Amino acid sequence: MNPFALRQAALRWFHRHKETQAWALLAPGFGWLGVFFLAPLLIMFGYSFMPRGEYGGVEAGFTLEHYARFADPLYIKILWRTLLDSTVCTLICLVTGYPVAYVVARATKWRNFLMFLVILPFWTSFLVRTFAMIFLLRDTGLVNTLLINLGVIQEPIIMLYTPFAVMLGLVYGFVPFMVLPIYASLEKLDLSLLEAAEVLGARPAERFFRITLPLSMPGVVAGCLLVFIPALGSFLTSDLLGGAKEILIGNLVQNQFTTARNWPFGSAASFIVMALVLLAVMIYLRARDRGNELGAQ
Amino acid sequence: MHSLKMPIWLTAFVAAVYAFLHIPLLVLVVFSFNESKYGVSWTGFTTHWYERLWERQDIIDGLKASVVVGVSSTVISTLLGTLMALAIARHEFRGRRLMEAFLYIPIVTPEIVVGISLLILFVLVNFPLGLMSVVIAHVAFNISFVVVVVLARLQGMDRNLEEAAMILGADELTTFWRITVPLLWPGILSGAMLAFTMSFDDYVITSFVTGTGASTLPIVVYTMVRKNIEPSINAISTIILVITSLLIFAADRLGRDKPLVKSEE
Amino acid sequence: MPTKKETDDLFKSLIEGRLPRRDFIRAALAFGASATALGSVLEACSGETAEAPKPPPPSGPPTAAGPAPEADLGPMETELNIYNWSDYIAEDTVANFEKETGVKVKYDTYESNEELLAKLQVGGSGYDIVVPTGYILSVLSAQNLLEPLVKKYLTNWKNVAPLFVNPTFDPSNTFGVPWQWGTTGIAYRSDKITPPPEGWALFLDAKYKNKMTMLNDERDVIGAFLKLRGKSLSSADPADLEAAKTDAIAAKANLKAFISAEVKGQVVSGDVWAAQLWNGDTAQASKEEPNIKYCLPKEGAAFWTDSLVIPKGAPHKRAAHAFMDFILRPDVATSISDFTGYGTPNAEAVAKLAVPVPYPTEEELKRLEIQKDLGKAAQAWDQLWTEIGAA
Repeated sequence: MNPFALRQAALRWFHRHKETQAWALLAPGFGWLGVFFLAPLLIMFGYSFMPRGEYGGVEAGFTLEHYARFADPLYIKILWRTLLDSTVCTLICLVTGYPVAYVVARATKWRNFLMFLVILPFWTSFLVRTFAMIFLLRDTGLVNTLLINLGVIQEPIIMLYTPFAVMLGLVYGFVPFMVLPIYASLEKLDLSLLEAAEVLGARPAERFFRITLPLSMPGVVAGCLLVFIPALGSFLTSDLLGGAKEILIGNLVQNQFTTARNWPFGSAASFIVMALVLLAVMIYLRARDRGNELGAQ
Repeated sequence: MHSLKMPIWLTAFVAAVYAFLHIPLLVLVVFSFNESKYGVSWTGFTTHWYERLWERQDIIDGLKASVVVGVSSTVISTLLGTLMALAIARHEFRGRRLMEAFLYIPIVTPEIVVGISLLILFVLVNFPLGLMSVVIAHVAFNISFVVVVVLARLQGMDRNLEEAAMILGADELTTFWRITVPLLWPGILSGAMLAFTMSFDDYVITSFVTGTGASTLPIVVYTMVRKNIEPSINAISTIILVITSLLIFAADRLGRDKPLVKSEE
Repeated sequence: MPTKKETDDLFKSLIEGRLPRRDFIRAALAFGASATALGSVLEACSGETAEAPKPPPPSGPPTAAGPAPEADLGPMETELNIYNWSDYIAEDTVANFEKETGVKVKYDTYESNEELLAKLQVGGSGYDIVVPTGYILSVLSAQNLLEPLVKKYLTNWKNVAPLFVNPTFDPSNTFGVPWQWGTTGIAYRSDKITPPPEGWALFLDAKYKNKMTMLNDERDVIGAFLKLRGKSLSSADPADLEAAKTDAIAAKANLKAFISAEVKGQVVSGDVWAAQLWNGDTAQASKEEPNIKYCLPKEGAAFWTDSLVIPKGAPHKRAAHAFMDFILRPDVATSISDFTGYGTPNAEAVAKLAVPVPYPTEEELKRLEIQKDLGKAAQAWDQLWTEIGAA
């Protein structure tokens, strides 16, 4: 059989088996995730129902105590605080990231280079970046020295080891997660639509809210998820820029696997957060698919 | 195109965001030339920390390992992730929504849980720990990010061009390579950039699944934190920044004559 | 999910030898049992390991202990994998060892004791030498995760100072060769804090609000406030812990941050005037800023020793012993401590240090305490630390 005929045969077969085609595309990635992500995670899920080993790990047995323990107001408070921080971080990233993606996607020159500049800081080490930020923020740091010398302030403003510094660090670390998907969805935007709207007399704000924003919504949603979800698990930023004065879920989990040596509780806490996120994502996906169906009608 | 001008305040705002992102980099670069070992204040100019890189074989080895891991895990995860995104966006199949939701699990799982659980798996099946196990782990946590970014581009992508090609007689594969992939390219590129960035900067997961003599650059740097992060790390970071900037700058210049996606036209 | 009784029965049957090992593994995996728990049970049960999981009784070193002749480790291997803290060895130590023995060393670093512990518990690390602090060493030995030393290969053992022979965390030095030691006290700026601090009460003094830091480690913070009230660093008494928590929360209002040794830079720059810190790091910082002084708190403080140990199943045990013997030489030990700024347990090296780090005096020894592993109390401590963090 010549290659061309083989190809035609393959195509015909795929035409008849749409679902098989989908699974053929999914299989490699799904297989990888199944073996190297889901399987280990299931082991951890098992751990979350076992008694804590005195020296780490777990002991044989079955218990629900780790899930029950999480109901303590202490942990609920930490979870609430984390959700709040992640939400604020996501909103700030959206407000700062969207304009960047928008301007870069509209740029006629240097578009790839401008995009790359957004991600460039992250090709240095997180710690070196963070220490640079500490140098900027501390009492005798660059910002305070500058402001004092300019006569704007007399006494240094305490910025480092405050919630402000933590938020600054989080936003810094997550902005590209917002910019990249929004850029990816804005870049394909058909400009003739905007031009048509302009010709028809739509004001800039109107053009943005009626055309650009709705069309870039998939990117916005993806960006928000890519910022919000990892922000929930962050722990180093609050340690290094917040001076470990505020404990977040990420720190709690980290501690369970290190100093506290309570692997099952750490797993249980992780699975509770995972379940919450998964629930939210499912609700969103349902709503989106509903919307699409309505839109299609 | 040119009739839709950027308002000046918008350009200024974006410039400010760029400044926010790059001022710490400036500090980092300046301190790579600072004499003080603790980098607390400027004590004098030196190139000592660059010369010292010759002696710090661990930093050079770490950089090599990071590049190998970063490139291979980015290629694999971008490929697998793009295929998955295509399946999810373009096909109806049972459990599609569940599959899409499932993709967010790797993003939400705390790194230490990923690291320890994967290490348990590797030890259980007697898989040797080294660069290979690190690549496997990085692909596992990168796939989801790639899928989410590529999906964002796919969703609502205009299918008219593809349909036109088919009507004109192109078969599915030709249409895919000539139309779909070029249209998708910015999404794939964004996903790949994100994947490489995360691989290049990962410490927690890597520290668990790596083996003897396979320390990546973040491992070398993070383990220094309790003692002192030597300014040689600033030096190597500066070198990375300069080289990658030049590469991308050149690529952008060369690529400008024949843009990958001619969406302006 | 199996009931507790089912799994307990499973373990019991294994211990009584009713179930073949392979079946047990399969059954246990089906239950999702931990690889760690599995490993330790199997070790304890298998015939090959004569060692009891508990450390041997403190009477006499293994050389003198027994009828069992010392193991022979065979010829020297050509490779050695070392896993140590960063910046915790002289720059030429490894190169000199390689030159002398022809052994090729792979050297990796880790960030914390706990990370090391978790990694060794899961297993498969492939390292021949790791460097845990005393209380972590005791956990590793209790879990049967270490290889006993074969003393006949340690010809320079005689150089170890008496203070480091038979420590509480490693009776009869079965597993560890002492590497470096130090204390956890207070680094302060003598030009800013007058009169100089005497002890941990400093952190409760609002006079220096926002100018002080403590280490970001529950053992160090809670331990300091336990000492302040004259209790043990490793107390498990709920009343002691409650009192320490009250103090810690009161101190938190004065503290700028809980931060690890990277605080050094900010003590030098003057952002921080007093920081809970180790003696060696204080010495390093005072090289840049002579006004930085070290206070060993009058109420007492932690005295710690990090030791070289060989993880169970290490592939290059003979070479590991050769390295241990190498660093026990006075000249090598001197160069290491000169680089790290910490004390050497090597009695022959201590007088040769460029910047002397003398052994604690009798009076100081009374104030110092060696941290013990918290065991079951670790959970209570963690809860306390979380409460302090959330306060």
